[in-house]
Formats: sequence, C-alpha cells, structure tokens
Amino acid sequence: MPALTLDRLEKRYPGHVAASSVSLSVHDGEFISLLGPSGCGKTTVLRMVVGLIEPTGGRILVDGRDITALPTNKRNIGLVFQSYALFPHMSVFENVAFGLRRQGLPGSALKQRVDQALASVRLSALGDRMPKQLSGGQQQRVAVARSIAPRPSILLFDEPLSNLDASLRDEMQIELKRLQREVGITTLFVTHDQGEAMSMSDRVCVLAHGVVQQFDTPEAIYHRPATGFVASFIGRPNRLTGRVVRATGAAAAVQLDDGPLLPAAAAEGMAHGAAVDVVIRQEDIRFAEAPAGDAATLAGRVAMRSFVGARVQYLLALGGTELIAEAVTNGPHAGLEVDAPVRVAIESQHVYVTARAAQAAAA
Amino acid sequence: MSPRQLTGTLLASPLLLLLLLAFVAPVLLMVPLSLHPYEPGTGISAGWTLANYTNILTDEYYREVVVRTLVLGFGVTAICLLLGYPLAYYIANAGPKMRLTLTMLVIFPMLLNLVVRSFGWIALLANRGLVNNLLIDIGLIERPIKMMFNLFGLLVGMSHIFLPFMVLMLVPAIQAISKDVQAAAYTLAASRLRVFWSITLPMSAPGILSGSILVFVLTISALVTPRMLGGPTYKVMATLIYDDFLQTLDWPAGAAMSFALTALTLAVIGLSSRVLKRWGGNA
Repeated sequence: MPALTLDRLEKRYPGHVAASSVSLSVHDGEFISLLGPSGCGKTTVLRMVVGLIEPTGGRILVDGRDITALPTNKRNIGLVFQSYALFPHMSVFENVAFGLRRQGLPGSALKQRVDQALASVRLSALGDRMPKQLSGGQQQRVAVARSIAPRPSILLFDEPLSNLDASLRDEMQIELKRLQREVGITTLFVTHDQGEAMSMSDRVCVLAHGVVQQFDTPEAIYHRPATGFVASFIGRPNRLTGRVVRATGAAAAVQLDDGPLLPAAAAEGMAHGAAVDVVIRQEDIRFAEAPAGDAATLAGRVAMRSFVGARVQYLLALGGTELIAEAVTNGPHAGLEVDAPVRVAIESQHVYVTARAAQAAAA
Repeated sequence: MSPRQLTGTLLASPLLLLLLLAFVAPVLLMVPLSLHPYEPGTGISAGWTLANYTNILTDEYYREVVVRTLVLGFGVTAICLLLGYPLAYYIANAGPKMRLTLTMLVIFPMLLNLVVRSFGWIALLANRGLVNNLLIDIGLIERPIKMMFNLFGLLVGMSHIFLPFMVLMLVPAIQAISKDVQAAAYTLAASRLRVFWSITLPMSAPGILSGSILVFVLTISALVTPRMLGGPTYKVMATLIYDDFLQTLDWPAGAAMSFALTALTLAVIGLSSRVLKRWGGNA
C-alpha cells in the first residue's frame, strides 16, 4: 500500500487553477521532490497535504486512510518551513519538545526523544539556546529536529534550503538525505532547484501550471523528458523555434528559424510544416572533428567565451542561429578563443521537439 | 562627532531646543519649588522642607489618592486589554476591506471632543441618567445605583476613552507574528486554542506591553475625565495636582505630587517591560 496517495487533487481560486488533478502515489520511505518554477502549484500541493490549504477536489490518503477532511493538528504530518518558523520565545529544547508535549509524553521519555532528535541533527549541545542565537543553518536543523521528533507519518519540506548560502546548501542536502535514510520516513520535498531535486530524490515530480508534467526517476526525467516543458526546464537548455521539414517513421528533420537543418527523433503530432519548439541542452552539444552516425555536424565560430570554474561556456554562432555549449575546464576544448572556427555534433535523440502552442504558432 | 552624528544632531536640534526651553526648564524649576513649605494664608515661604514628599506617604488622604490612581491605572489597562485584544486579533486577521472598516470604527470616537465623550457618560451613569432610569422603569431596582463619583464610573468612562489606543497598538503587533510560526504549531498537533496560548499570545508581548504602557500612562495622568466623572470629591493624583496649582495655590504640594506621579509611572513601566520581555522571549 502506498504511504501517500494524492488522488486527482485540485485547488481552484477564482480566476486561476493552482493545482489541477494532481495524482501521485508515494511508497513507504521514498524521497519525492515536487519540482517546478515559482507559481507552478508545488507549494499549494504541499500545503494541501498538510491541511493548511483546503482542496476544492480530490482526495489525500495516508496508508490508505482518507485524511482529506482531517484538520492539520490531527494529521501527524511534519512540515519544515522555508522560513524555519521556529518559536522565537522558546528555547531550542522547548521548540523540539512542542509536538511531543501535545502527545502527552511523560518527562523522562520526552527528554530522551528531544535529545535523540537534536542528536540526529548534530545539535545536542545547543538545547538551551534561543533560536535567534543560532546561525541560519543551525535554525534549519532545529526546524528539522522539531518536525521529526513526534515521528510523523510523512515529512514535508517547503524549499528548506533556499535561505542558505551555496556551500551550506550542498552540505545540508547531503545531511538531509542521510537523515531521511536513517529515519526511513516518507518525504515530500518542494523545490525550484533541479539540482537539489535530482540529487536528493528517489523520484521527481515536475509541475507546471498546476499540472503534473512527469513523475519519474531523476534519470528518466533528464534523459526522457515527457513534455516540452520538462525538456526546457531540466538541464541547461537552449530554447529555439523551428519548423518540421521532414517526418518519416522514427526520423524527422527540423529547420531552425534562420538557422541550420537538424535531424530529430520523430514525436507525436509532428506533421510536415508544423511550427515547433526545439530544446537542445548545452551539455548535449559535442565538439567534433568529423560527422558521425545520425549526429548533425554544424560549423561555425565562437562568439563569446565565459569561464565558470569547472566548465567553460561558449556562445556559438552556427549558421544564423546562436547556441550555448559547454566544455569541461580540464578537457581539450576549454581553450577556444573568440572567433575561432568550431564544429559541433548534435545527436538526433538530443533534439527535443514539441508542437508549439496554437497562439504562438499563429503569431 | 562623525558627520552622520552631526547631521542627526542638527536635524533633532530644533525640537530638542524647544523641549529644553519649554519643558525641561520649567520641570527643573519645579524641583526647588517642591522643597519649600507652604503656609495657608501667607503662601510659599523661603525655608526648605521635605514635608511635601513625606506627606504623600504618611498622610492618609494622600495615600488613598495615590492607591486609587494606581488601581484606576491598572484597572483601565486590564479592561482595555481584555476588551481590546479579541478585537485587535480579529482586525489583524481580517481581509483588507474589513480591516480598514474596523480600524475606522475604532478611531471614530477619537474624533469627538474628550469633554463631549465624558459628558456622554454622565448622561448615562448619573443618578437620574439613562441607565438608572431604565433599571428603575423595568423594576430591577427601586433606588438609583451610584455609578458616578466612584471607581466604577471612572473605570467605565476611561476604559471607553482609551480603548482605541490599546487596539491600535495591538493590531500591528499581532499582524507581525509570522503565519508560518502559527501554522508550524498547528502541524505539531496543537489545537487552535493551544496555538493561541502558546504562540500567538506570547509573541504579541511587544504590542501588549506598548499598548498597556500607553493606556496606563494616559489613565493615571488624565485630568478631564476624572474631573467630570469623579466630581469634586473623588480625587485622583492628576485632579489633586490641578487643585493644588489652580485652586488652593499650594504649588509646593502640587509640584511634589507631580514628581511622585512621574516616579510612579517610570517604576511601573520599568517593571512591566522586564516581566513582559521575559515572557515574550526578548530578555
């Protein structure tokens, strides 16, 4: 039985739909990310699961039990807020003890559980501190300890790392993942950061405009994007437009607007002459000396070069269109100068083609 | 002095100068005044004495007035807090339209002259006032109940007059409490009531403190309403000071009483800040 099931969950506001028929099934102990740009409805879904927002349709089931009508304080679902939302007038110990006190735990057991929770986030020594005496990272840990202490059936995270600086964020990613494994708790993690979602999750659910675009493993999301949105959101994409000039069986070709002809894998609805959106990831553009297989080889020159540390990014002018490509800093193509001639290869499977929205095609 | 400090000093100096000349100087002049003896009939004499101060502590009448003033101050503050908090809580959590409407309604009585508002209470609370007449007419009482010239009348009238100040101080304090923090308590199995007691109420301590101090200070220093609703016999410190200065012309006693009132105010503010700050976690 799935630990958490969202069954056609929906939230409509006058004039817009925040979540439309969201269905998910999460296994026990699984780490799931809800990934999408701001306004995609991921936080709305999260808040419906915990009961802070009332859905206008659909059901939420925890271990097969319908909890849609239960108030938040009866759900036993933990939530770590983006703002941490610690109780500023209580010590760290009392913050963590708050949920346990509601369960009526006697003093000695309560202390043991608080100590255990604080130890799991490596804050055992700071129980007497007040929240404002802690750093951002420490406050984050207290928020996590407070949420796991009452042993919730499901743990939710609402963009918990977005207020931390970059190095601390990486550290916390690993730590949260480790903690989740140790506690074995079913986790729903909301983020707009694809790296975060990919690295931490067993499966990722990509949301856009309140609709689930794809719900699959990070690898599948990356390599086999189900919709044009996913293709253009995941990885570091070049977003282009073009027109289908040939569609025969599994093979097709796309004429980029003002640009070169590219082979592409045929997709549904690709009729001859159809206006399409084309996505090519920066990391899929390979520097090549000679054409190979079904890869298109394009010749052009370097228009701009920027050094980003582990990678070097190039803006390439390729027959009327511009593409961003990258090379690893230690690789053979890191030293190309501006105006240097280049040849790149793009394999047809890496050219993601989707039909353009009707009004965009008309315009 | 850094340029920044200099700018600050210059910007503040016109008001500072005015306050020094028109407020601090007269107050300082009152210090020696409060140390001279006063002879009825002859006036202020040249000698020095502490009697004006010791009288406040030893004289039974003075003591009664001081205690009455404090009881009134605490009473009005407590009533305003009890009546004002639920209203402020509702305003803070209401939609923008409702919030504006209610805030306007709270401010509205303040547009009326203080004398008119106090007189309104006389019309209501007098022996032949509306309330007594109504109670007699429906047969609940036979003789009018005394509701004026006593603590009851002053508590009612001044609570009404100072309630808006309490509400206006509480609303932003309650609004400033993060919705997430309250939601967090709710996710940790706390009932609505528990969230209020353990989170919302202590976190609104700054508003409770500033509102209470404001109402307390306004109450114990108020003159018009106590004069009108307390009448010639039921005195508080402020009306006593007024009488000393303008009727009996016993300026030394009035000055000493003024300083006593100030000291009392400062003591109460200091103590209550400390207690409330500890409660609200800002110690």
